Amino acid sequence: MTDLAPATGTRAPSAGTSDHPSDQPVSNTRVTPPPEQSARARTTERVIGVLALVGTAFTVWLGLWVTPPDKQQGDLVRLVYIHPGVAWVALYLAFGLAAVSSVLYLWPRTRSLFWDRLAAASVEVGVVFNVCTLVSGAIWGKPTWGVWWAWDARLTLTAVLLVLFLGYLALRRVPAEPEVRARRSAFVALFAVLDVPLVHFSVNWWNTLHQGATVLNPGLTLKIHGSMAWTLLLGFVAMTLAFVWMLLVRYRIGLLEDWLDANELDAALAERQSEGTRTPDAGGAPAAATAGVPGGTPVESAGVA
Amino acid sequence: MRYVIAGYVVILTLLFLYAVQLAWRRRRLTRAVARATSAYPAPDAAPGRPA
Repeated sequence: MTDLAPATGTRAPSAGTSDHPSDQPVSNTRVTPPPEQSARARTTERVIGVLALVGTAFTVWLGLWVTPPDKQQGDLVRLVYIHPGVAWVALYLAFGLAAVSSVLYLWPRTRSLFWDRLAAASVEVGVVFNVCTLVSGAIWGKPTWGVWWAWDARLTLTAVLLVLFLGYLALRRVPAEPEVRARRSAFVALFAVLDVPLVHFSVNWWNTLHQGATVLNPGLTLKIHGSMAWTLLLGFVAMTLAFVWMLLVRYRIGLLEDWLDANELDAALAERQSEGTRTPDAGGAPAAATAGVPGGTPVESAGVA
Repeated sequence: MRYVIAGYVVILTLLFLYAVQLAWRRRRLTRAVARATSAYPAPDAAPGRPA
């Protein structure tokens, strides 16, 4: 994850003694670009993306054509190569990473908006995988149990998990200072993630329709063998790689969004300056000399709305 | 078998669409940032600027 460089996301420094926009000398307004994604990071990201695609393609090929049908479930067992993989990513990787990142944000010694962005990215990707888990589970449930949905402990708790993390994403859209938003979100993530162990142990604690864990069971005994086991493993790896690729891209999106939010004003002022200095009608007068005046009439007379 | 095919198609389609949307969002934001930074001339290179 070489491009996950910590960045504060704070406002770019600008000259002037007051925070009011009209008091900022526009001639000195330079917009500091966000951290560039290094060539190595881009290459790593591409390699992970290609590996995820290849891994998924192989999983589909092995799962649909190569592996044998099950004695009891017949061809329906082929869903095992993809459904647990997406559930693993959603429940354990994505929401687990979000919880760890939230703790690291709340911990004073490691507090950085980097962890907040990482948690937000992880939750968004995790929500998509959570939806995939519920949908594929319903598709598997219909021919197996006779219903698309049952208010079974595991299914219900997984749906609750989705609602909790949708709430997390909704909370992040409430306007607030980055630090306030990060603190609120971290607490919500830590509350929401308490549902993960409930989902995991639900098949052991209660009588549920859902079958027990094939891999992550209490004794860590693999209940699947041969080509079926390898295909299942490949499914986990492919979904994990897809998650990592999505996380990298989503983190970058969060970084750029924060930068644009923090620098919107500076960018607008710089734009006015550059437009004003480029327009011949301005008579060569430096826009900087007048753009600081509230109302900005000289700049507007140069044709800049 | 149709449920199996449906399961694979739904999951892979959802993930593919989300991945495409991510790539599109990043591209749009990268362009927006580029506009906000590189489109402006440096103060000492701006025409009409006093020496």
